[in-house]
Amino acid sequence: MNIQSAFADALLAPEAVCPPGLLAWNGSDPGRRFAVYRNNVMVSLIDALADSYPVTQQLVGEEFFAAMARLFVQAQPPRSPVLALYGEGFADFIEAFPPAAGLPYLADVARLEMRRVQAWHAADAAPLTEQELARLLADAALPAARFGLQPSLAVLRSRHAVVSLWAAHQTDDVTAALAQVAVEDAENALVLRVGLEVDIVRIADGAAIFILNLQQGVAFGAAAGQALAAESGFDLVAALGMLLRGGAICSAGFSRSEAA
Amino acid sequence: MNAAHVPTGIACGLPAAGGIGLKPEHFREILDTQPELGFFEVHAENYMVAGGPFHHYLTCIRERYALSIHGVGLSIGGASALDEAHLDRLAVLLDRYQPESFSEHLAWSSHGGAFLNDLLPLPYHAAALDRVCAHIDRVQERLKRRMLLENPASYVEFAASTMAETEFIAEVVRRTGCGLLLDVNNVYVACVNHHRDPRAYIRSLPLPAVGQIHLAGFACDVDAAGAPLLIDSHGAPVAQAVWELYEFALEGLGPTPTLIERDNDIPALPVLLAEACQAQRMMRERVAATDEVCA
Amino acid sequence: MKTTTTMTAASLALAFGAALSIAAAPVAAQDKMMDKEKCYGVALKGKNDCKAGAGTSCAGTSKIDHQGNAWSMVPKGSCEKTASKTSPTGMGQLMEFKEKKA
Repeated sequence: MNIQSAFADALLAPEAVCPPGLLAWNGSDPGRRFAVYRNNVMVSLIDALADSYPVTQQLVGEEFFAAMARLFVQAQPPRSPVLALYGEGFADFIEAFPPAAGLPYLADVARLEMRRVQAWHAADAAPLTEQELARLLADAALPAARFGLQPSLAVLRSRHAVVSLWAAHQTDDVTAALAQVAVEDAENALVLRVGLEVDIVRIADGAAIFILNLQQGVAFGAAAGQALAAESGFDLVAALGMLLRGGAICSAGFSRSEAA
Repeated sequence: MNAAHVPTGIACGLPAAGGIGLKPEHFREILDTQPELGFFEVHAENYMVAGGPFHHYLTCIRERYALSIHGVGLSIGGASALDEAHLDRLAVLLDRYQPESFSEHLAWSSHGGAFLNDLLPLPYHAAALDRVCAHIDRVQERLKRRMLLENPASYVEFAASTMAETEFIAEVVRRTGCGLLLDVNNVYVACVNHHRDPRAYIRSLPLPAVGQIHLAGFACDVDAAGAPLLIDSHGAPVAQAVWELYEFALEGLGPTPTLIERDNDIPALPVLLAEACQAQRMMRERVAATDEVCA
Repeated sequence: MKTTTTMTAASLALAFGAALSIAAAPVAAQDKMMDKEKCYGVALKGKNDCKAGAGTSCAGTSKIDHQGNAWSMVPKGSCEKTASKTSPTGMGQLMEFKEKKA
């Protein structure tokens, strides 16, 4: 019992300490052997973060990323044996991490990358069929329809050019692409898994508000109204077309319990 | 509890052939080329997600191949109670994919609510034995099937141990009725690291309980006294010494489902398939040699 | 009335119909129109393994206190190619970074 506690504590401790009660057959210092476990825990969890946050890593470089990730792992080790979604708190950690303060956009890039991982693993849901959509179009109650959206869908609103920054790192010439990015431009990201791939699309303010409202269960007409109030140039046809094309609308209901 | 209470399901219905670990890098190529192979093995936890490509590909591949599900996060050797939520996730996964085999490790990986993502060693004494047996009883009861328990690779030993590892494993098998996953690379790594005879180690295991074999590559390091310290890296081809030990194990076991494990520096699919072929060839040659002797 | 926040049922239905035809249009034209950045063929790895990392050169053996002097690391990645109008150098990502007063 105590052996495991001491062992576990030493694995995550910032300083290399060797827990008591360990032996090596040749009487050598067991600390060196224990370091295999310590190394594996740290490196595997840092690697897990690097897999989820590749652009964050590219922005700060491998060395800085590893050092920052190590502190995160020590502060917030995984709580579940399922590592696919480990590191949900990493963006908040980055935001409060003084050495990264010079990159005010970094936390939002990390947020976008976590949305992407979440979208990748999100539940599968069948979009409305053509027939169902046609029936909906013909329904006089269409403005009151509340849409159920894909579980993978997320909208991220950022004060920085988060989509452009992310997209620049998907190109062959990152430096050239980054030269075109104005990081201070606010951007909204739509994240959606279409088929087996995750799409990340830059959307306007109105579209972001529209989709966020739909996601919260606001009726179609009211959500469109909210978007139009926020952005006079809101293009409902384009926003809706994008959702439909991505198969993002999975259900439509007409519960009128909620006041718009 | 004793073996009489164990669910009657077979521990390992895999074919006595070579298999490889399924990696996302190879998903498409496997479906495109449909190579001949005994089975694929996946790590359970990688598929404990709601949906998306992992499930899509595993579903397609499972339709065509035998499947082994290998858990890496159950913490059977843990001091605290088993994570029932994790057992539930395992039950859902096994129900969905109906694998021919389910296996886990004689190790722990969770403590105090934190998951440490490594297969950590435990001392071998009576209290640990009771705990491990209770955990395996619970796993087999919850999953309604026998599991295979894998022998560990380790780098340290405990002053508190009162039994040899093989003695501990044999007693677990006797009490719980679980099967064994004989990881030949782990045997080799642990025996080099703790200065033991790997053949004697294998001989002292309850071999009739073995349902599957793992083969993998290791990395070399040294301890504080300069003695060799092998690391179970799964990042290299199977070493010659491990092939030889495998051959020795086959003498006692006969043809046994054999997995090539590779988790680091993953090579092209044909490289792994060739290693699985070699294992299969060695099984066949042993059978042929035995037949000659008998004839 | 450009700031109206309500849309008539007729205009909503019209928009919905138009959106349906957009959704049915050829993909290339849509991509252009939507200013789309696609995450082509990115394959995530499985993060749960039963391997050990090679070596004992344990990462994390040195104590790092990012509040004090011990942390001397500066981001060295593509951020250095990212123009920032509010940084003193125009590329600012140094720790000493202070936002320029307007």
